[in-house]
Amino acid sequence: MRRSKAAVSVEVRQVIGALCRLLAATGLHAVPAPETFRRAKFSGGLEVEDQFWQLLTSILQSAGIVSCEAFNQLEGVSKHRKLVAAGLWQTGYHADWVSGGEGGEGGQGGRFSSRDLLLALGWLLATGTLEKLLTRRVQQMDNILLTPIPVNPQLSSELQLHSASLRKLQWLIGSLNYQGQILLSMQEERTRLLHAVLFAILQTSVSSPDQSSTVLREECVCVQQLCDLLEAYLNWKQVENIFWTWMDSVVDCHLTDPVVEKPTHAPSGITRVCHHGNRGLEKFEDMILRLPRGQKGQQIGRGDAEDRGERSTEPNSRLKSRSNAAAAQQRCPTAGPETPDELPLSQATQLLLHAEALLLERRDRQRLANRIQLQEMVGKLDELVLIPP
Amino acid sequence: MSVVTVQLGQCGNQVGHELFDVVCADAQDGQRKAYGTASCERFFHQTTHGDLVARAVLVDMEPKVINQSISRAAKSGRWRYGETSHFSQKQGSGNNWANGYCVHGPSHRDMVEELVRREVERCDRLAGLMAMMSVAGGTGSGVGTYVTQCLRDIYPSTFILNHLTWPYGTGEVIVQNYNSVLTLAHLYKLSDAILVHENDTVHRICSQLLNIKHISFGDVNRVIAHQLGSVLQPALTADSQGVYSRNPLGELVSSLACHPEYKLLSVSTIPQMPSASIAYSTFSWPGLLKHLRQMLISNTKMEEGIDWQVRPTAGSERTSSLTAPSFNTSLANLLILRGKDVYSAETGAFEDPALYTSWLSSQEAFNLWKSPVPFNKYEKSATVVSNSQALLRPLDNIVGKAWNMFASRAYIHQYVKFGISEEDFLDSFTSLEQVISSYSQLC
Repeated sequence: MRRSKAAVSVEVRQVIGALCRLLAATGLHAVPAPETFRRAKFSGGLEVEDQFWQLLTSILQSAGIVSCEAFNQLEGVSKHRKLVAAGLWQTGYHADWVSGGEGGEGGQGGRFSSRDLLLALGWLLATGTLEKLLTRRVQQMDNILLTPIPVNPQLSSELQLHSASLRKLQWLIGSLNYQGQILLSMQEERTRLLHAVLFAILQTSVSSPDQSSTVLREECVCVQQLCDLLEAYLNWKQVENIFWTWMDSVVDCHLTDPVVEKPTHAPSGITRVCHHGNRGLEKFEDMILRLPRGQKGQQIGRGDAEDRGERSTEPNSRLKSRSNAAAAQQRCPTAGPETPDELPLSQATQLLLHAEALLLERRDRQRLANRIQLQEMVGKLDELVLIPP
Repeated sequence: MSVVTVQLGQCGNQVGHELFDVVCADAQDGQRKAYGTASCERFFHQTTHGDLVARAVLVDMEPKVINQSISRAAKSGRWRYGETSHFSQKQGSGNNWANGYCVHGPSHRDMVEELVRREVERCDRLAGLMAMMSVAGGTGSGVGTYVTQCLRDIYPSTFILNHLTWPYGTGEVIVQNYNSVLTLAHLYKLSDAILVHENDTVHRICSQLLNIKHISFGDVNRVIAHQLGSVLQPALTADSQGVYSRNPLGELVSSLACHPEYKLLSVSTIPQMPSASIAYSTFSWPGLLKHLRQMLISNTKMEEGIDWQVRPTAGSERTSSLTAPSFNTSLANLLILRGKDVYSAETGAFEDPALYTSWLSSQEAFNLWKSPVPFNKYEKSATVVSNSQALLRPLDNIVGKAWNMFASRAYIHQYVKFGISEEDFLDSFTSLEQVISSYSQLC
């Protein structure tokens, strides 16, 4: 069921065309041609970038994310860029060039392209900016639209939540519903009467005063524009998913970019774009896989060092050394391979032998001294006859 | 602003006819042009020949009553029904709600909807729909419930008021309590408000106030029509800014039945007397209002036999009124005064917070409509439409009797064979028990 590539590209162009028409209908001034979108996908150069800077600025301003005064206060050639970066940051979009604030300028110029701007546009569309623009435009044009009055949602502190309050609340909600119904039917009647009046005017007086006809004409234009806007939105909504498929391909393109990026710090390299597909996940898994392998290597290294210390005669097989390392850890979990308190065995033997000799010598001397003392005592006691054992 | 009436079944068609008769006579009677115009616009449309044609659709499964109503209306010479705005069949619903709701209703749905749509399209602005029926029989209750359901689907944001006639407690139909339970439980979910007249009460009014010896359905229906007319005829309301209100059903419903658990409305009117006596009677507003207030709080539907011992008590001392004959607590009341010197009437006694439930202030619970035009030959008349405990006991009786029959599974197979299961019965019982419980706790 795969359609031919040419057919798909024609379709994509039409879909982007629908988007462009809708953007223009919402009152944006700088809407690029559909072809510019295609060029942006393949990093179309400065001219394309400029158009997208303007488009993003225009969207951010119209949607009220950044104010026009802020734009006027900025100076220099990069004011579009600063404003867009600030606006995108406010909408929660993150990319290196946004947080860096130097997008597309100077040292980073090599790896920044119009594709980044296209992705940013995709982000804005996906987060509902388009609907915001549409609502604003409709509110501007439709002067009979009832705009909701902002209501202070703070509940009275006296309100206690028990069944009586709940019942009263239900009553009041019911009452509001009925009031709404009454209002609705009054509006219906007003519409009917207005229609009757207009019909009567059209029938009776062709030469109506200039002013009223001008007003009517303006109103008519306005309604026509409103219809166009809503129609454009409807057209866009019907084909929107094709655009997002294409946007996926832009993201893919962005991720498999042959230009080797040198991220300033590793995490931003991962989070800088929202990943469609599993490419980012693969990267991450790869990193995780690498992590424990490194730790194991360290352990093995430590085991080898111990082997070298005492058991150098044994066969240096990987399995053995690993078990040795574990044993060594059990015996002495904190100490390293060469502890200063531990002596070589031969030296210790010598030390012990020496100590033994010293002690034996001291013992013999003491025995001699005791014997002499005993003989002296015996010499003093004449009448005592001693029978040696 | 117009109201389209749908008359369903024998009772609905008879009461509807009486209502149009009363309203038309009243609108053409006085010299007040604005009142008459407003009333006519509300209930009739005018043909190119100047005939008044009722904004009504007549539906019955038997042709007899519809034909009678149509010919009697035509004979009156003042108004008539639309030539093609009726629908009837040859065979009735056999007093079986299930037959009406599951069989006749669905099979004639398109025809009835088309008739209503035509009437609605004749209105410059639709103020609401009023379905009139009884709850005892098969066509009024069963087909009526089904039609109300269809109307709710087609006109989701239009006010729908159901006028129900409750049967005599002694019984006209053996399964009337089943039919009543099924109708009420279903309508409670569909209708914005349910205005109820009990045959027993109206019968007592006929015998004790109007001194009628042999009371016919016509007499009963005329009393109902009089009370209904006094509610629905044009009046000056709080929102209408000095002109006759253009939204009678909307204002009625939004002043009385905003809470989804409380939708039962009852009506009391004063004075009511034989037409021969009216000329010899004089009324004062303080006297009428004093009586009407006592009728309201003691739950007496007529001037005779008012219990003057009942007094409003503080909220904490109130008891559930299912057993003791006690104070009738209101959720909301709408007082409608018509006649001479109406602006001098003092209605403060109806704004007493002691009359109302503790959770709704009397400012929200009480509404007043006035009209300086005397209604239906009475120099002064006062009507109170009340969302109160007044219907609690009769409702409890109906549900209790139906439950006793259901416990022994009497006649259930008659309903099951048309597609109403025991589960459906149980659902209906449950929802009405909830209504009874809600009204019992209204203090």
